[in-house]
Amino acid sequence: MSVSPATGISQPIVIGIDAGGTMTDTILVDADGHFKIGKSATTPKDESEGFLASAEDAAEAWGISLESLFSGVGVVLYSGTGMLNTLLSRTGRKLGLITTKGLEDMILMGRGLQAWADYSYADRLHAVTHHHPEPLVPRRRTHGVTERIDQFGDIVLPLYEHDVHAAARKLIADKVDAICIMTIFSHVNPTHEKRIAEICRDEVAKAGADILVYTSHEVRPVIREQSRLNSVLIEAYATSRGRRQLKGIEDVSKTYGFKYGVQTLLSFGGLTSINHPRLHETMISGPIGGILGAAYVGKLIGNDSLICSDMGGTSFDMGVITRGQTRIENEPLMDRFKLNVPTLHLDTIGAGAGMILKVDPLTRKVSLGPESAGSDPGPICFAKGGTEPTIADCDAILGRLNPDYFLGGKVRLQVDRARAAFKEKCADVIGVGVEEAAEGMIEMLEADANNALRRVISGQGIHPSEFTLLSYGGSGPLHLAGCSRGIGFKDIITFQFAAAFSAFGCTTADFMRRHSVSTQIDIGAKASDGALVDFGARVTSIWNELTRAAVDEMIEDGHAREKIRTVPFLMMRYTGQLEDVEVMAPLSSVSSAGDMRTVIEAFEAVYAKVNHRVSRYGEAGYSITELGVIATADKVKPILVRRPLGKSDPASAHKGVRDAYLGGGWHRANLYEMDDLQPGHEVSGPAIIEHPATTLVVHPGDQVFVDEWTLLHYRHG
Amino acid sequence: MTSYSKEVIAELVAGTLPWPQTRRIMSAYKDDDRFFKYIAVLQDRVGWKDKILLPVGDHLFICQSGEERVTRCECGHSFGDYRRNWKLRAAIIVRDNEELLREIYPNSDLPDPAWMEIREFICPECGTLHEVEAAAPGYPIVHDFEPDLEGFYREWLGRPLE
Repeated sequence: MSVSPATGISQPIVIGIDAGGTMTDTILVDADGHFKIGKSATTPKDESEGFLASAEDAAEAWGISLESLFSGVGVVLYSGTGMLNTLLSRTGRKLGLITTKGLEDMILMGRGLQAWADYSYADRLHAVTHHHPEPLVPRRRTHGVTERIDQFGDIVLPLYEHDVHAAARKLIADKVDAICIMTIFSHVNPTHEKRIAEICRDEVAKAGADILVYTSHEVRPVIREQSRLNSVLIEAYATSRGRRQLKGIEDVSKTYGFKYGVQTLLSFGGLTSINHPRLHETMISGPIGGILGAAYVGKLIGNDSLICSDMGGTSFDMGVITRGQTRIENEPLMDRFKLNVPTLHLDTIGAGAGMILKVDPLTRKVSLGPESAGSDPGPICFAKGGTEPTIADCDAILGRLNPDYFLGGKVRLQVDRARAAFKEKCADVIGVGVEEAAEGMIEMLEADANNALRRVISGQGIHPSEFTLLSYGGSGPLHLAGCSRGIGFKDIITFQFAAAFSAFGCTTADFMRRHSVSTQIDIGAKASDGALVDFGARVTSIWNELTRAAVDEMIEDGHAREKIRTVPFLMMRYTGQLEDVEVMAPLSSVSSAGDMRTVIEAFEAVYAKVNHRVSRYGEAGYSITELGVIATADKVKPILVRRPLGKSDPASAHKGVRDAYLGGGWHRANLYEMDDLQPGHEVSGPAIIEHPATTLVVHPGDQVFVDEWTLLHYRHG
Repeated sequence: MTSYSKEVIAELVAGTLPWPQTRRIMSAYKDDDRFFKYIAVLQDRVGWKDKILLPVGDHLFICQSGEERVTRCECGHSFGDYRRNWKLRAAIIVRDNEELLREIYPNSDLPDPAWMEIREFICPECGTLHEVEAAAPGYPIVHDFEPDLEGFYREWLGRPLE
């Protein structure tokens, strides 16, 4: 990125790199909180190429060489797409499955929602489009063995070991790369899974084959066999290539002088080394960075209710932090497979600058997407072969995007070509002028995002005026005004590093492990003190076991014991409810009836916060459905620099004027360079604030104020 | 606006198009020229020269046969004038007792033959099963529909039949 060398700033200490579907974003951070960002196209075949190109772009912006960058930094964070691509392209390992007899068709049947998850609303309604994802194991390599353990962990039928021997031999003869084992209720009692694994390993050794064995209780001992099955399959199927990609990243970093191990992001918001034993926990990591970054910015500005919104080319992702609470989604979808990996919750709608615009010739109905032109061929104005008009083309036609400064000038936008195609395919079909049609399309996109934000907020049961909206992503600031208008946010903020905000968020994370296990502990509303003590003892013993496992893993990763902090947590609900809430335990062990009551009170407090105080229902009793431990170790983090507010006139960042079509008419809009804006500056619309990687449009009557952290506050007029 | 090549439509009809592409076509607006491409694909498939005017089943078509318009099986067998119910000239199996119904429902409950019978309409020449109807015993053979070919071509396809 052609930004002038950063003078007077020191050596970066953290590199955060976020490889998305189209672009790989890099952010460099030094100890004083200076940032530089870099961008390059993602290279799915060998991710290290895109990694290096993106890092080089950022290093150039900083004004240093790759060698001095890598030899000087303490942390390299990388979140990539290798595993996801392996899954999407079905190029993973050849698997075999051994399961409880009678459950062999579980893979084919799947979950009903897997047939339509990710579909547009219209397609969801049309069952003819529903289709189950291609299974990862064919039915012929699925073998049932006789055994049964019930929900209490009691053995109802013993394991028929001869079934296992036969199945293992058959799979070895089929030349599988890995054998997965998933028996029902193994999360309560894993005896049979363990024994099946033993037999399989014996058979593999006897045959002299090189076959890995995975068991579901080791991958994640949590209730719901379909999700547990998907998790163990995906771990076995996709992680080997993912691990190879991550190893490639580490090797490249080391050739440029990096001294430590590369870290990657977990879906529940922590960092781990690339040797993480359950690598599928890092698969949904890209958008997670944004929520972490939002939490960090929230602390700075003193508001713990935040909505973060990320608009890129294809989707609009929204994350919520309500009064300091992030939401954990326990069964997220991955390529339409339901998994049981705890993940920071995100709401997503299809809305982005790459959306393809369509007008039905019969009804003149306009529809956006859901297809996106992506980066290849991209919008028409990229002149890379795209032929379908997109939102980005509308932005270019209306003068909102600078044709000579897109990605810092790396892509020259062909506005005339976009205009001609848009006129023919959209404006003329509807029968209105080009500008009016283009602005209408943008308004539709922004209205979709605006409605989605309102829906997410109303789901929280808290007034919008408590929330601060954070807007980022390559096209977030471009459509910020329309997305946020009329909702009544407390504040609306965007960033100079908006295009790499997710990568920034990754750099604010700590090293983390999260171990948990399903439980079935029902505490009556009128439980006696003696009963409470017993419940407490059960909880404590499970916590101790999990703590030991989590700490051991972190020590193995090279963290010193005294640096590791552990916090136990519980998933609790009122007995009979269907959803649980995550409660951070107020105590590290429960040794008395009073302690147990403290834990219950903590649950009620969280429940009241997430729902509403009057919705508490202690009369039903309490159920603990899962117990877990989060272990963390600190990492150096970026700090944003606080500078005194200067004068409000932004003349020093002014770089010219351009005609832009805003609110139904052409305006002479002032242009500003985003990186040159200083604390205190106030920009009044109509104006366009440009950055090589993003563009902020300030509508007539609106204002942008730069605060002491150099955050950009958007104020509707 | 939307349009696909004849090869794509041929694969769509044959069911060999990859699923993601099939779904994209399903979810998009209907392509303007689909009908004529579809007819062209069908025309390539059948072994006779009569022009197909309208498909009325997977292997059954109304076609222009000289001056006449007839319903024709893919094998070439003619069921006569299209305005007449072609079923009346088909070979018919009527399943109206338990034994005959059991042949097609070997493992499940049966409909009550006193209330419902199943009629299968088969091409007398090639044996293709063209249609199955379930009706109350004694109910006349159903005439599925008599298309208004002129109106359909003129008003819906915008290309009147000569």
